[in-house]
Amino acid sequence: MEFAIISTLNGVTYGLLLFMVSAGLTLIFGMMGVLNFAHASFYMLGAYVAYAVSSIFGFWTGILVAPIVVGLVGMAVERFLLPRVHAHGHAHELLLTFGLALIIEELIKLFFGDFPVNYQMPEALRFSAFEIFGTGYPFYRMFIGAVAVIMFTVLWLLLTRTRTGIVVRAAERLPQMAEALGHNIPIVFMFVFGTGAALAGLAGAVAGAFYPTNPNMGIELGVIVFVVVVVGGLGSLKGSLVASLLIGLFSSFAVGLDWSIAGMFDVVGLGDWARSVGGLLTLELSSVSATIPFALMLIVLLVRPAGLMGERN
Amino acid sequence: MTSIQKILLALLLVLLIAVPPFLGLGWQNALINVLISSLFALAFNLLNGQAGLLSFGHAAYFGVGAFAALHLMIAVEDGLFFPTPLLPLAGGLAGLVVGVVAGYFSTMRSGVYFALVTLAIAELFHSLAPHLEGTFGGEAGVSSMRMPWMGLGFGTIIEVYYLTLGWVVLCGLALWAYTRTPFGRLTLALRDNEQRVKFLGYNAHYAKVIVFAVSAMMTGVAGALLAISNETANYSLFSGSVSAQVVLQTFVGGSTVFFGPVIGATVFTLFSFLISDLTRSWLFYQGLIFVLVMLYAPTGIGGVIGHHIRNRRQLDLAKIGGPYLVALGGGILIAAGTVFLTESAEVLFGQDYAMARDGASGGFPAYDLFGLSWSPLNPVTWLVPLVLLCGGVFILIRARRVIDRLWARKDEATTADMTVGAGGKE
Amino acid sequence: MTKFAFGAAMALGAGTLGAATSQAEPLKIGIIESLSGSQTSTGRLYARAVKYGVDRINAAGGFNGEPVQVTEYDNAGGASEAADKFRQAVADGVNIIIQGASSAIAGQLTEDVRKHNLRNPGKEMIFMNLGGEAMELTGDKCQFYHFRFTTTAPMRITALVNAMKKSDALGSKAYAINQNYSWGKDVQAAVEAAASEGGYEVVGEVLHDVNKIQDFAPFVARIKSAEPDTVFTGNWSNDLLLLMKATGDAGLDVTFATTFLDQPGNIANAGQTALGHYIANNYDNAATPTNEFPEAYKAATGAYPIFVEGHSTFALGQLQEALSTLDFKGGDINVTDIALALENSVYQSPLGPISVRKEDHQTIRPVVVSKVVKGAKYPADGTDMGFETVEVIPGEKAIYPVQDSCQMKRPNA
Repeated sequence: MEFAIISTLNGVTYGLLLFMVSAGLTLIFGMMGVLNFAHASFYMLGAYVAYAVSSIFGFWTGILVAPIVVGLVGMAVERFLLPRVHAHGHAHELLLTFGLALIIEELIKLFFGDFPVNYQMPEALRFSAFEIFGTGYPFYRMFIGAVAVIMFTVLWLLLTRTRTGIVVRAAERLPQMAEALGHNIPIVFMFVFGTGAALAGLAGAVAGAFYPTNPNMGIELGVIVFVVVVVGGLGSLKGSLVASLLIGLFSSFAVGLDWSIAGMFDVVGLGDWARSVGGLLTLELSSVSATIPFALMLIVLLVRPAGLMGERN
Repeated sequence: MTSIQKILLALLLVLLIAVPPFLGLGWQNALINVLISSLFALAFNLLNGQAGLLSFGHAAYFGVGAFAALHLMIAVEDGLFFPTPLLPLAGGLAGLVVGVVAGYFSTMRSGVYFALVTLAIAELFHSLAPHLEGTFGGEAGVSSMRMPWMGLGFGTIIEVYYLTLGWVVLCGLALWAYTRTPFGRLTLALRDNEQRVKFLGYNAHYAKVIVFAVSAMMTGVAGALLAISNETANYSLFSGSVSAQVVLQTFVGGSTVFFGPVIGATVFTLFSFLISDLTRSWLFYQGLIFVLVMLYAPTGIGGVIGHHIRNRRQLDLAKIGGPYLVALGGGILIAAGTVFLTESAEVLFGQDYAMARDGASGGFPAYDLFGLSWSPLNPVTWLVPLVLLCGGVFILIRARRVIDRLWARKDEATTADMTVGAGGKE
Repeated sequence: MTKFAFGAAMALGAGTLGAATSQAEPLKIGIIESLSGSQTSTGRLYARAVKYGVDRINAAGGFNGEPVQVTEYDNAGGASEAADKFRQAVADGVNIIIQGASSAIAGQLTEDVRKHNLRNPGKEMIFMNLGGEAMELTGDKCQFYHFRFTTTAPMRITALVNAMKKSDALGSKAYAINQNYSWGKDVQAAVEAAASEGGYEVVGEVLHDVNKIQDFAPFVARIKSAEPDTVFTGNWSNDLLLLMKATGDAGLDVTFATTFLDQPGNIANAGQTALGHYIANNYDNAATPTNEFPEAYKAATGAYPIFVEGHSTFALGQLQEALSTLDFKGGDINVTDIALALENSVYQSPLGPISVRKEDHQTIRPVVVSKVVKGAKYPADGTDMGFETVEVIPGEKAIYPVQDSCQMKRPNA
């Protein structure tokens, strides 16, 4: 019971962090059909900008400035770089963002070095939110979760309840028609891309103070974020929330479960045989928990490419 | 292929056969890498250029080929009779088998979804391989040794080079021949209009699986060649960077031209051979080159060259050659400025400089770069790259205007060939 | 490999590479490290320490009448790139290969060296392994031309257990959390093996994916439910940092017994969380009885030796010791003789003597056990924290028996 409750708490907060990063990615994909390989780099950029700013102006200024800077970078990418390759199709847009990801990573290494940098949350935030089964639950985890929840609510309200949201959704469905109605579609796209990037930047600024900020953080999270977005359904905000939580919970629970395929064979009395075969059959779930998301992504792509909540195939 | 192209290819082949014995071991080894990555890129581009399927997980088939060849090598070491030069067959076979299965599933999807399926498959290999020690040897990998065969020792690099050359030429020609067969033509149609292929009565899915499998097979051969050359392989062959490298090479070289990927593979492999021990920022330069090519020459180096070859009759070399040289000069200036800034940043933000600053009690001591000493507080230090960059950009823009005008004049004469468009100037 | 194939390979290798130059050649050292890519940080430290060591050899007159030459090769962190750079090193005529940052690459290089030496008798190379701690390098893969100048898992764990027990920090329940690859498994096995000596019970063990886990909170929950006193971990880099941060955030009261806590950036990043935890490693500035070595290093490079720099310098010192017993009179360098001299060399490091065990070429070396404290003599990462020496375990006490799997084939002298 104790394990289940703590695992659920951990899984939910980690899932919400994943959502913070994937929200921007799914927003951009939903709108523009661009799978942004550089998205996780925006996340890393956010952490580093926040680190650089906060070391001079304090933690909260860093949190505030990072999404703005990263958002501006995102807007510049959308405005000046993507249109150049747009005529050559989505594959080239994908490749361009992929190249940008490489450059951002190397630039970070150039200026900040290869070691993790000393980006810390302020001492005022370093306390236990509550006690559970004798151990404290860090407040900052709740903080990360709260930021994610606020972000989801604001985005969702913005998209469904405001005029801007209607224009954005119209621009997604029927760009020509929206343009004919007098809306400046390129500007809309630029802002959507900028917002997506800014969200990643915010996530980086918030999470970077909790997890180490290092030049690999983009790559490490990047692939998982792809998994989230695919499983949730490319372009579906609700879907990526559900998928984030799912994967967060899964990686949390998998740690405690020493299941293996051989163990399952025990049920029918073939366990010893399976163990003698070895290989895949004896791998414990806890030791391959980082593998499972990829398997999940593969299955979703093959069975239901629209993802859990996606509308289109 | 025109006769000129045939002659050029034959000439290249003669050079590849005749020159290496006179080169140092380092260059022989670099050429082996060039050949292997060329074959890898060609195989990758069969899928991408021919069928329009962008794979982000070709490392899977490269790695599978390498491990298959190594296990066969181990069997040969233990006494199995198998001619060493035929080892890549094992890689090809393994690539084919895995390719059929992976291809069957991944080609159920297209576009971004296809790319993601391939990515997921490669990641599965990458994350499971280190746990499966029997097959992939844990993180240390599998190791073996090339065995002598028919008086050939395969102990020296040059022997490995010729073995690699033979296989790469053979496979390269086979791939080229494949694109000429009716089936090869059909895959091209798959890229352009899948619907129509279906209406013609072909099973588009099976056709894609076959292309995928052939691509994976040739990738497996390339992996096997690497295994033979290295005599070891570990799970890092499955890593995303291997998949990424082949994508970079193919698109910088040009995916629309058959030999484009070879150009890209050659450029990048030699780049890393010559540059990687000189500067720690070489990955940055590599990324920069890739992005610039994507932005200004989306058809790649091969595409630009092809564009010029196709229009050679309309182009007046005497007129356009001058502006091209000027543009090249501008490009070199920009490159020099960028390198200067990057290397300066590398020094100024590096650990050693931080220590030097400690030594100079917080000041900004001068640093050495390109054999000269530069002071960070001296405006000249920053004026140099600034002048280089601005001058380069200015020259490039001027030259580009002239070049644009010359091309426009040509385009008035012939309206054909609109595929490359603005790609020919960078 | 069959005897026949072995012989044939050697004969053919000898035939193809006959022309050796008879000029007075300098001793060439090649550092094959990851100088770009994701494991850059450690690679650069090794390179700096090796250069410092070589400078000292050269300051003392070099070798064979020439200064010793060093070349850096960037393996970008990959085994196949390392194999590639190895061939480049062969092309450049390198005699001694040095690598430290990765066990996997060490595995690759020791095999490369073995094969090279089989094929090119008379032009052998030595592999000085400064950091590859996988047991199999001196087990299954052990060979005459490979020397390991660092500890292995049993040495570090034995030292930790001894020192922590003596200072009453060990407790009776231990937990082992490690990365799921050879090093992590070695550490786990060592923790199990030392249980009776340390008088503790292993209440739980877990192996996890290497450098892929973002959130360690679930692992901390699992550790917590086992209620250990001490948590042994061989984790490094992110896996160590994340684990310690998650533990600190959860307010879990355990003592960590670590092996790579001194990696630069760790102390700064872990902050207060790191206080009171233990580490066993090859070298720590605070453990030296006089300041002579750290000060000399700082004078030459601008900073005190950190992380792997200390023991890497000792390895070069040991090489210098071995070279001083040899004299090729400006003629051809016989690498096998250098290897034999290394076997017999004893290096008096500031922490105690270091010698080579002939059976498997593992060095018998002192292990330092330290504890993270505030106000340390040598602060780490620009913080006010640092390491305080608990005990220096002498080599003969830390060493473990030769592994049965090591079947070393010695050169026919």
